[in-house]
Amino acid sequence: MNETLLEVRNIRKSFFRKEALNNVSLNVKKGEVFGLLGPNGAGKTTLIRVINRIIEPDEGSVRFDGHLMEANDLKRIGYLPEERGLFKDMTVENHAMFLGKLRGLETKDIRNKMQFWFDTFNMNDWRKKRIEQLSKGMAQKVQFMCAVLHEPDLLILDEPFSGFDPVNVELIKKQLIQMRADGKTIILSTHNMKNVEEICDRAALIHEAKKIAEGTISELQGEQKTGLYAVRFRGNMLTFVNALWTGFEIYDKTEHGDNRFTVRVTMRNESSFEDLLKVLIGHVTIESAWEVMPTMQDVFINLVQPVSHEE
Amino acid sequence: MKNSLLIALRELRARVWSRSFLAMSFIGPLAVLVFTYLIFAFGDEGEQKWNVLIADPTNYMQGKIMPGKDNSITYSFASNSIDHEVFREGSQYKDFDALIEINEKVLENKVSHVFFREAPSTRLRTKVQYQVERRMEEVFADEKFGISVQRYRKIKKPLLMSFVDVYDPYGESNSDNAWVGFFMGGIIILFIGLFGMTILRSVAREKSNRIVEVMMGTCSPRQLMTGKILGVGMSAMLQFLIWTVIIGFGLYWMRETLFVDILDPRNANFDAMAEQMQNQSYAAKQFSSVEYNRFVDLVYNKINFGLMLSYFIGFFIGGYLFYAAFFASLGASMGTESDGQQFVLPLVFILLIALYAGYYTMNYPGSSLVAWLQYLPFTSPVVAMVKLAQGYGEDGYQIYISMTLLYASAVAMLFIAARIYKNGILQFGHRLRLVHLLKWLRKT
Repeated sequence: MNETLLEVRNIRKSFFRKEALNNVSLNVKKGEVFGLLGPNGAGKTTLIRVINRIIEPDEGSVRFDGHLMEANDLKRIGYLPEERGLFKDMTVENHAMFLGKLRGLETKDIRNKMQFWFDTFNMNDWRKKRIEQLSKGMAQKVQFMCAVLHEPDLLILDEPFSGFDPVNVELIKKQLIQMRADGKTIILSTHNMKNVEEICDRAALIHEAKKIAEGTISELQGEQKTGLYAVRFRGNMLTFVNALWTGFEIYDKTEHGDNRFTVRVTMRNESSFEDLLKVLIGHVTIESAWEVMPTMQDVFINLVQPVSHEE
Repeated sequence: MKNSLLIALRELRARVWSRSFLAMSFIGPLAVLVFTYLIFAFGDEGEQKWNVLIADPTNYMQGKIMPGKDNSITYSFASNSIDHEVFREGSQYKDFDALIEINEKVLENKVSHVFFREAPSTRLRTKVQYQVERRMEEVFADEKFGISVQRYRKIKKPLLMSFVDVYDPYGESNSDNAWVGFFMGGIIILFIGLFGMTILRSVAREKSNRIVEVMMGTCSPRQLMTGKILGVGMSAMLQFLIWTVIIGFGLYWMRETLFVDILDPRNANFDAMAEQMQNQSYAAKQFSSVEYNRFVDLVYNKINFGLMLSYFIGFFIGGYLFYAAFFASLGASMGTESDGQQFVLPLVFILLIALYAGYYTMNYPGSSLVAWLQYLPFTSPVVAMVKLAQGYGEDGYQIYISMTLLYASAVAMLFIAARIYKNGILQFGHRLRLVHLLKWLRKT
C-alpha cells in the first residue's frame, strides 16, 4: 500500500520565459487517490502533461514503478484531460475500439471491457450512435470509459466531474472508489474540494508554479486548524456562558430551537478540550462535542490567498 | 509505427465514408471524361483554313497543285527560296499560315518541311500531304522519268512531310505530349492542394476539440502527424486509383464505341470500305481513315500511359509528402480553427507557381531556369512530369535526380514539420505569427 508508484522529482518547465513549474516534486503511492489541487493557471495541467510525456520538462525526472518513465509505461496510464474531445463522426463503439487499440488492447479484450462499461453506465442503446448525437453528459461517460478501458494502473483525471449532473457524479465517484479498492492509483485534479475530502487519501497543492503543500487530507486540514471547538447542547444559553468562565471564549453560536444550541469556542490560557467538557458537564446537557477542523475549501483558500496576486 | 498505422486507418475510414470523398471520386473522373469526349468530338469542329505558300525556286510544280473539293487550303507559289526565319518575320508573308519548300533536296531525300504558324489538325496535315504528294508524283512521273503516274505510284518512295513550328523550328516547346505531362502535373498539384487543406483543417479541428491531447496520452506527436499524413495520403491514392479506373474504362469504352480505331485491322469493315472506294475519291477515303482529331491520336496513340502513370505515382507521393508536412505543421500551429489564413495563402501561391512552372516548361523546355525548376522540390512534381512527357532524350538521368531530391526534401520537411507540430499542437488561443513558427522550430 505504501509503495511509491509515481515519483516526480524537481520538475521545471517554462513557456516563452513564463515559468509553469518551478522545482515541483511529489510522490504518489500505489492504491491511493491523490488530489492535485491549485487555482487556475497554477501549473497542474502542465504537471499532468509532463507525467503523461505529452510535454518534456526543462529539468527534472519522472519515475514510474521504480524506473525512469518510458513511452511503454503510457499503456499502464489512463488519462482524461480537462478539455477533452472525441471524434464526432465516429460511433461510440468504434471510438472506444480505436482508443483501446492505441492503448495496445486486442479487439476481443476491448469488446469485453466495453460491455462492462456499457452495462455500468446503462449505455447499451447508444453504442452504435455517432458521438455528435450524444448529450454532453453521455459524451463524458464515453470519455471516461475510453480513459479506463485498458484498466490502467495509474488513472489521471483532470476535472472528471465537470459537466456531470449529481447522479452521474455519484456514479463516477463510486467507480473511482471501486478502482481504489481494486488497487488502482488515481490522480485527481479538481477544484471541487468536497470531492477531495470524500475520495482523496492525500493531496498536493500547487500555486504559482510551486508545490506549497503535500500530505494526507487530515494532515493538510490539521496544519490549517484554528483551535476552534464546537459543543452541541440542550439547556440555557446563559448557564452555558457562565459555566465557561475565563478559560474559554465564545467564537459564534447557532440556535436550533427547543433550547438546543451549537456553540464554537476558542481556548484561553492553557485550557484543553477536556477542560471544556469538565466545566460544562452538570450545567447543560451535551449532545456532542468536537474539534472544528477546516474544510479543504478553507485549507485551499488559506494557502492560496496570502500569496495570491489575482484580484 | 503501429500507432501511426492505426491513426492512418482511422483517418482513411473517416475520409472514405465522407460525402465529399464519394462525390469527388465519381464526379471528378466523370467530368474529365466528359471534357475529354467534348475535345474528341468537337476539338476540330471549327475547320481550319490554311493559306499555304510553296517556295519553288526551281519551278518544279509549275504553279500547279491539285486541291480537293473543299476550299480549306489555298496555295500560292513563290519562285524564290524563302528561309523559315524570313517567312516568320517578313511582313509580306504574314497572311500565309504555312510555308512548304520544294527544291532538289526534297526530290532526292523525299523529305519536305512544312513550317506552320499555328499547329494544323491531323485532317489538314493529311490533306496538305496528299495534295502536295499528288502533284510531286506528276512531276516525277512525267518530267523526271517519263512514265505514267499510275506506274510511278507503284514504284515510288513516299514523300515524308515534316511539320515544323516556325516559331519553334527545333521542336523545343509545347508539343501535345507536353500538355499531357502538364495535365498530370496539374492533377498532382490539385490533389496536393485539396488533400493538404484536408490535413490542415483536420489537424486544426482535432486540436481545437482537444481530442489530440487524449491521443497524445498514448502516442508521440510524430506518430500523430505521420498517421494523419499517411491516412489522408492513402485516401488520396485511393481516390486517384478510382479516377484511374473510371477514366481508363471510360477511354476504353469510347475507343470501342465512339472513336473506333479504323486503322486497326480488327476493326476494319471491308464491305463498307469497298463501297466507300467506289463512291468516294481516293482522297476522301484517305481522310476518312484519320477522321478523328489530334486529341484522339494523342490520347490513344502517343501517350505511354504505363510510364507516365508510374512516374506520376512517384512524383505524386513525393510531392504530397513534401507539401503535406507544411500543411500539417501549419494546422498544428494555429491558435484557433480560423487562425493561420495568412500562412495558407503563401502555400497556395507556391502551388500556383509550381503549376505555372509546368506551363513555363512546356514553352521553354531548354531554358536554364527549367533546369533548376526540375530539381526544386516545390516545382519538380509538375516540371518533371512535363519534361517526361516531352521526352528527356539522352538526359534521362535528370528525372532520377529530380525524384531523389524531392524525396530527400520530403523527409527533411517531415522532420522539420514534426518539430513545429510537437511544440505547437498544445498551444491554444494565440494568433499565429512567424515568430511562433521560428521559436517552435528552434525548440527541441
